[in-house]
Amino acid sequence: MSGAGRRRASIRLMLPLALAGGAVLVVAAILLSQRTAESAPAQPIAFSHRTHAEAEIQCLFCHPNALRSDVAGMPSVERCAGCHRTIATTRRRIQTVLGYWERGEPIPWQPINKMADFVFFSHQPHLAAGVGCETCHGDVGKMNAARQVVNMDMGWCLNCHLKQPETAVARLTDCLACHK
Amino acid sequence: MAHRVSRRGFLKIAAGASVVAGLSPTVRRVALEPFVRPPEEELPGRATWYASTCRQCPAGCGVIVRVINGRARKIEGNPSHPLNRGKLCARGQAGLQVLYNPDRLQNAVRQTGGRGSRRFEPVQWAEATDQLASALKGVGGKARVGFLGGSVPTHLRLLVTRFLEALGSPGPVLFDLHSVLEGGAEAHALADRWFGSADKPIYDIGHAEVIFSFGANFLETWLSPVSQSYDYGTMRQGQSGGRGFLVQFEPRLSMTAASADQWIPVPPGTEGLVALGLGRIIVEENLGRVGSHREHAQLYRDVSVGAVAEASGLSVDRLQKLARAFADADRSVALPGGYLSGFTNASQSMDAVMALNVIMRRLGREGGVFLPHTIPAEAFINPDLPSPFRDFEKLIQKMRDGQVDVLMVHGANPVYELPRWAGFADALTNVPLVVSFSPFINETAAQADLILPDHTYLEGWGFEVCSPGGDRPVVSSQQPAVRPLYDTRSTADVLLKLASSLGGAVSQALPWPDEVAYLEEASAQLLGSSIGVFDARTPAGFWSRWRQLGGWWSTKPIRQEPVARGLPQGPLQVPAASFAGQPNLFPFTLLPYESIALSDGRGADQHWLQETPDPMTTACWNTWVELNPATAAQLGVTDDDIVRVVSTHNALEAPVVVFPGIRPDVVAIPTGQGHQDYGRFAAGRGSNVMDLIAPVVEREAAVLAWGGTRVRVEAVHRSTKLARLESLDGKGRETLR
Ligand code: SF4
Repeated sequence: MSGAGRRRASIRLMLPLALAGGAVLVVAAILLSQRTAESAPAQPIAFSHRTHAEAEIQCLFCHPNALRSDVAGMPSVERCAGCHRTIATTRRRIQTVLGYWERGEPIPWQPINKMADFVFFSHQPHLAAGVGCETCHGDVGKMNAARQVVNMDMGWCLNCHLKQPETAVARLTDCLACHK
Repeated sequence: MAHRVSRRGFLKIAAGASVVAGLSPTVRRVALEPFVRPPEEELPGRATWYASTCRQCPAGCGVIVRVINGRARKIEGNPSHPLNRGKLCARGQAGLQVLYNPDRLQNAVRQTGGRGSRRFEPVQWAEATDQLASALKGVGGKARVGFLGGSVPTHLRLLVTRFLEALGSPGPVLFDLHSVLEGGAEAHALADRWFGSADKPIYDIGHAEVIFSFGANFLETWLSPVSQSYDYGTMRQGQSGGRGFLVQFEPRLSMTAASADQWIPVPPGTEGLVALGLGRIIVEENLGRVGSHREHAQLYRDVSVGAVAEASGLSVDRLQKLARAFADADRSVALPGGYLSGFTNASQSMDAVMALNVIMRRLGREGGVFLPHTIPAEAFINPDLPSPFRDFEKLIQKMRDGQVDVLMVHGANPVYELPRWAGFADALTNVPLVVSFSPFINETAAQADLILPDHTYLEGWGFEVCSPGGDRPVVSSQQPAVRPLYDTRSTADVLLKLASSLGGAVSQALPWPDEVAYLEEASAQLLGSSIGVFDARTPAGFWSRWRQLGGWWSTKPIRQEPVARGLPQGPLQVPAASFAGQPNLFPFTLLPYESIALSDGRGADQHWLQETPDPMTTACWNTWVELNPATAAQLGVTDDDIVRVVSTHNALEAPVVVFPGIRPDVVAIPTGQGHQDYGRFAAGRGSNVMDLIAPVVEREAAVLAWGGTRVRVEAVHRSTKLARLESLDGKGRETLR
């Protein structure tokens, strides 16, 4: 076989291979991105949102930055210790928390809701528009271990943005609203 | 038949697959680590800006520091600050690299292998301060204490002075290479001689029409370069009618000279003589519109314009033209720059320059010479001037004679900055306890027994009484932008702690529990001042405005008119400067000039500054020797060839930069390199030009004549590649010719 012929043959073989490989990856990518994380990731402390919500502690008590900043932020260890130096101090989990506080170490929480890096999302305007936490985060107050309930992809964001008052829709569906 | 996937095919598949994979959202999988204790005012994801003061040079520009998640990210100029008005120089920008420097000391250390062994062991703060306290108590309570400071922030200088006074010790000696090169002590002496003032004169560059700068590189490192650059812009844009005119007298084309209308490279040490000649012509021809010059005639009685022309190489005609340009302008000013201070005739040269301002009646006039208005509160009266070389020599002598039991060093690095003949390093061996407060192990700290590292300036408190403060009184305040990164401690707090453990007079003199209490009390003294840019009802309110704004200054420009004490008795004279080295053996004059990036060497540990190209030669990361093209051709060397520069006292080797902007009989070498210690970016790089300096000291005023060294240059027939941003002569760009 001449060199040119061999090359043609290898291209003939390569094409379907490439397509098949590509297809597998596309499916995998879609499946991965659709992962709505039924299972919650393992956390350094088995923190229960439900316990806290049942004690009628507002979301914003621990995540106050959602009102003022892009990120809601995790409560500082100081904030945890603020209550737990006197509340339920004998429980094992609480002692773990206090251990972090005494050692001056941050608690390495695993993130639940993940947003792609190229999205410029900010909590502040959402809260200002009266969107409740549970709209995106689900009824965390009923969960022991928090887990992601909404697949935060563009379709989902737009679904809501399109339902806003007509005057705001053009602005809210502009690409640059989220992709700066 | 076996079908193999070719290499190219495989790459295509791989590329296709990665494109598809790239479509899936990128998410960061990192743990969310909250603050243990959130910094005050911290809002995750949002920047907080803290107003503070730059401490990369003593000018005291105002900065604002952008802090996100408790980390300092960027330093900018404080737009409200009257000195730098939102601008910052390269050194100011690089300040983050002081904070994040990987070679910072992270705790107090004790040198265990003997001085210079560089074997350090961590020591507890309590133990270290106890050791210092008991040494200060001394045998029978009569310890003889020395304090050597470099560019120490004003608040600390004031505390140190009180501390030493209460101990019954002499005041601090403030001596560093930057202030030597900018002629700090000589500028104070000049103000004292002419105006009886303890403050340096200020020159109204912004409103001048004609500026004659005698070796003042006011756009680079002299006094307050950012403020002066701003004013230079104002002067150039003709905001006070017409584009200003700048003439620069110095042997090398500095960046300031390059920005001038005329660069006049007179022989080193004759600058003052030129000023004298110009004065003579003005008086003789009764130039200018300021009335009679009769009373000035006696000043210039002994001056021969012909002799000036001969010594300076300028024709009489040229001198006359210059004199007319200076005298005919309504607002002219002459600047006695730092370069003049490098010669044995420093004080006479500076007098000759100041005399030009006096005879043209430029004192207290717009575009002329002023004195600063003092800060209207006792806490800011700032008595400590940069010490003349004489005081430093006295300290060295005392150390040598064993009259100093404890030496404390803050912000000074004489082991690096001065040539060995000054004897500091040798005298140190006779001091039983040497304590350094340096956050880095520099050459002097390497000779200390204890290092009690201060915070870096982005972590610390303080204030600087800006001198010069531009057109008004300015106190620039310093506050931490971030929490201290390591277990370092503010030197002011260490002193206050020592004071309370020493008890008695010392603790009475320093009654504050900590540095912040002292600063709060000091700032409150300005409460209710009628000239301040802000006021408050309570001290606490004042203190918070003070931090918010970055200091205190007056709303309007306020300066003082200098009153000449009467003209100098007898005629002015500028004797010929003395040089070390026979002209036939050492044919060149050495010009050590202050690097705009590394300044006197304190910037060498910051790699942003290391890679900042020198504005004139575009060279960086090394030491180089600037030679005139004619000189280089005569020596048979060209760019990148290594030469040996030999003075009567020492020699160094460095690559050549052929530089048309320098006199053929002058060799220029920038300061700042040649560190033995001071971290990975500084150590072992280039050579230290100060090693070449010969002991030329003017006897009467004891001025260290750092410009008075002659050298010879020898080719060594090796070369190296000097990092340069671009070539000056178009080499490598032949297509453009
Ligand atoms: S001039 Fe001095 S104080 Fe001002 S920004 Fe530059 S280094 Fe800092």
